[in-house]
Amino acid sequence: MTDEHTPVTEADLHAFVDGLLDDDRRRHVELFLKDHPEEAAEVHQWQAQAKDLKAAFSSYARFGYNDRTLLNSKTQAGTPASVWRKAGLLAASLLLFLSGAVAGIYADRFYAGNPPVETASALESLPGQSKTAFLVYASEKRHPVEVGADDEAHLITWLGKRLDYKLVAPDLRTQGFSLVGGRLLPVNGRAGAMLMYQDPGGQRLTVLLGKNPHSTETSFRFETSGSIETFYWIDGEIGYAVTGEVTRAKLQAIAEECYRQFES
Amino acid sequence: MPHAPDEGSRAKGASPPSAETFENQILSLVPSLRRYSRSLAKSDSDGEDLLQDCVEKVLVRRSQWRGINLRAWAFTIMTNLYRDRHRRSNQHPSVEFDETLGLTAEDVSGDPLEKTRLQQALNALTPEYRSVLMLVVVEGYAYQDVADLLSIPIGTVMSRLSRARRQMATHLAKDNIVTLRRPK
Repeated sequence: MTDEHTPVTEADLHAFVDGLLDDDRRRHVELFLKDHPEEAAEVHQWQAQAKDLKAAFSSYARFGYNDRTLLNSKTQAGTPASVWRKAGLLAASLLLFLSGAVAGIYADRFYAGNPPVETASALESLPGQSKTAFLVYASEKRHPVEVGADDEAHLITWLGKRLDYKLVAPDLRTQGFSLVGGRLLPVNGRAGAMLMYQDPGGQRLTVLLGKNPHSTETSFRFETSGSIETFYWIDGEIGYAVTGEVTRAKLQAIAEECYRQFES
Repeated sequence: MPHAPDEGSRAKGASPPSAETFENQILSLVPSLRRYSRSLAKSDSDGEDLLQDCVEKVLVRRSQWRGINLRAWAFTIMTNLYRDRHRRSNQHPSVEFDETLGLTAEDVSGDPLEKTRLQQALNALTPEYRSVLMLVVVEGYAYQDVADLLSIPIGTVMSRLSRARRQMATHLAKDNIVTLRRPK
């Protein structure tokens, strides 16, 4: 085969990943990759990427309940259908917001028979919620927490009960931070907990805990937003996020300490 | 510039499909259109919007369809709509709607945080790179088909694919994941 003597190009490597080579050429590329670790590593990366992309979107290839209405969207005076859909969404989100406020007041009664809709995307905002909680409460002078560290036992029992989880307040004194206290906060629309710590210089950090709708486990991630760092992870039924305005290395050490002390 | 075939280029004698057939054909394409629209979109609801606008445009332009490969034709329309929307939203950023209100993937397996990272990496791609990557990887089109669909040379398809893959790899580099072990 003349084929086998032509050098392997980058286009070949892509076609290899995409399964678009004929058998001869594919074997030729396979041999080439054995001798070229750098290209092999890149090809491997592209294959993993392709696998992730397929997995991420394959479940969308399905019929919806209302697909037939897609055909009826010939529109009112040139207004794109999506605008009407958005208006509907806005109304729905307003309704959700309002019902959220009501549910907040009667949370226990409502949730008892009517668990909130849980989706993976609610979970994804964990670091964002943690950052917001940090921004709002860490700068608060008079009421940073609802229950102070002087009443730690009550704080832990109370929050643990609301979270339905055997909560501990991690001891971060080895890291130079002591407990200020905590408060009940909505996380993903359910009862969550925030613990606050402070070092002798008045530097604060927060630990946010929220119920995780699906029992999963993730690696440890960080997200940076300006000078604020957040480390977060999910371990079984609980999502955790540690936020502070400290160096990443320092925050990582603190987050690792929390991880060790929280029950899995 | 990729353009859907216009009125003048419609093959002579190709009679427009009957309403029933055409609409049923569109309906049968909805799953694959939905997957493609979601793979281009920032969120589930954004994806549904794009799907809806696409189906609408396909219906409006039905007389322009040349009677071959409806899927590819709809994909071309979708890609153009996506590119235009992207351009518009960059000029006039709008409020992001809550993702949870849209269509939600039934597949909840896998690491949700990893999915967010993937979505972020995709959002960082230009519409040109992203559409090529998705047409090849998710929709399974061969390179020449992508070139035809987008009315661009195959060399451009290859360079966009290559850049998309490398940018994704950089974004997804695992250096910001730390593996922890809890001592037992």
